[in-house]
Amino acid sequence: MSHAWLSSPILAQLNSGVIVVDDEYQIHYLNAFVERHASLQLSEVQGKSLFTVFADLPEAWLKRKLMSVLDLNTPAFSSWEQRQYIFKLPHLRPITSSSQYMAQNCSMLPLNSEQSEQPLICILIEDATDAFVYQQHLSKTLIELEKANRQDGLTKVLNRRYWEEQLKQEIHRAQRYHHPLSLILFDLDKFKDLNDKYGHLGGDFVLIQLASFISSLLRDSDLFGRYGGEEFGIILPDTGLDGAVEVAERICQAVAEYPMLFNQQTIRASISMGVAELLPKQHLLHDDVIRCADMALYNAKRAGRNRVCSYLAGETEYQKKVN
Amino acid sequence: MSTFGFSEEQRDCLQEIINVAMGLASDKLARFLNTFVHLQVPSIALVGASHIPAEFENRYQDTEAALVSQGFFGNEGVRGEAIVLYQMENAHKISALLGYEVGDVSEIEMLTDISSILTTTFLNGLADQIENSLSYSAPRVLSSVKGDLSSLLRSTSFHWEHALKVDISYQLVDHSFNCDMILLIPGEAVTNIQRILDRILEDY
Repeated sequence: MSHAWLSSPILAQLNSGVIVVDDEYQIHYLNAFVERHASLQLSEVQGKSLFTVFADLPEAWLKRKLMSVLDLNTPAFSSWEQRQYIFKLPHLRPITSSSQYMAQNCSMLPLNSEQSEQPLICILIEDATDAFVYQQHLSKTLIELEKANRQDGLTKVLNRRYWEEQLKQEIHRAQRYHHPLSLILFDLDKFKDLNDKYGHLGGDFVLIQLASFISSLLRDSDLFGRYGGEEFGIILPDTGLDGAVEVAERICQAVAEYPMLFNQQTIRASISMGVAELLPKQHLLHDDVIRCADMALYNAKRAGRNRVCSYLAGETEYQKKVN
Repeated sequence: MSTFGFSEEQRDCLQEIINVAMGLASDKLARFLNTFVHLQVPSIALVGASHIPAEFENRYQDTEAALVSQGFFGNEGVRGEAIVLYQMENAHKISALLGYEVGDVSEIEMLTDISSILTTTFLNGLADQIENSLSYSAPRVLSSVKGDLSSLLRSTSFHWEHALKVDISYQLVDHSFNCDMILLIPGEAVTNIQRILDRILEDY
């Protein structure tokens, strides 16, 4: 018993597009899937050129593909991952997908039939919109994940791990290209008192507010991270000690003059800052620069807080005398 | 090995079929790519699954290689995977080869295109001789980052113990472009191939 009668209803029901063209790219057949999606009738387009009927096709590229199918009698493929679609067709998820056109996996297959004198090519179009949508979700999630992996959860500045990684890289770059590099470490003054007075929510509020305020004072190339508790660090690429001290002074003063409104109360805070410049011959590790900036920060604290101190070359211990 | 052991006749027969398929492929490719394609006499071996990762590792130790895979299947239980390996430093030569304009297609698309052409041209020739016909999956780039090739293969748990491995080197003379194609016909499919070979041998 012949099953030949089956092909026609199956082609009509098939949830993939089927287009058959000859070696002059004339359309011999297209199935109901293509008819419906492209709003075409086979009777209207039969014998017409594929590139006239679908005017948006990447003609040179597709011809090259189809030619390889004919010349080599082998299949050719196109994946949505490289080319989102070949045929501009609407897809079946207009509501739940952000893409405008159906993402497609296309196969171009040589048709060897005794019934046709001309060589024919069957173009199979599979709807890959679902895969495309999942891939988009995945990419978006990965970007967010990567961001979350770099960010401090509370203050949204860089977290310590990532910030230190950046410091290592910046030091490497500065040493390689003989550029200056400076580091600011700063600490919120009397943070414990703030917490005692306004509660931990108040303390967190101050950290969030100051982190965002200080971020707005920095250049894009500066790298601002939370080093721990109420201690933060700023990496200043291409900046010598004088420039860094200037930046620090400006931030220190701006913070002292920055009122923060929390539960109808105005909170004022101040910071102490230590500045150090990378000394290529002495600072071999990123820890060395951090240690120097930390020493300067300690001096700023000892000197009465709400001020900037810079590390002076040769200094090996914390300043003993308090001004 | 005993179950999958090839007799001398079987091996010779397979080698002959592959040589002819290579001749056909090289002729077709030369005309299509307008360049002389040199194919080295392929080596055929039965390999254990556990040896595969190390083998790739040794071969591409210090180079950045891209790996493109394409599955094939035909009648009588013939099935397997063709893997084409490129050294990435060769990749930019492909666009000229395929007649693409610069910037017209992505590097990945070029790799999958050339792989598909090399693989299916050769395998169609092979299928013709054993009176079979093959269907192919779309080619996929599995890896294109230095060093992750062997770890990728190691993380793959093979569901077969032995595979028939056919190793072919392609060299395109004008473009000084070369790549390796490795056909892996795993497990049960090897027995099916042997059955086909026996039938061909009987016909002689």
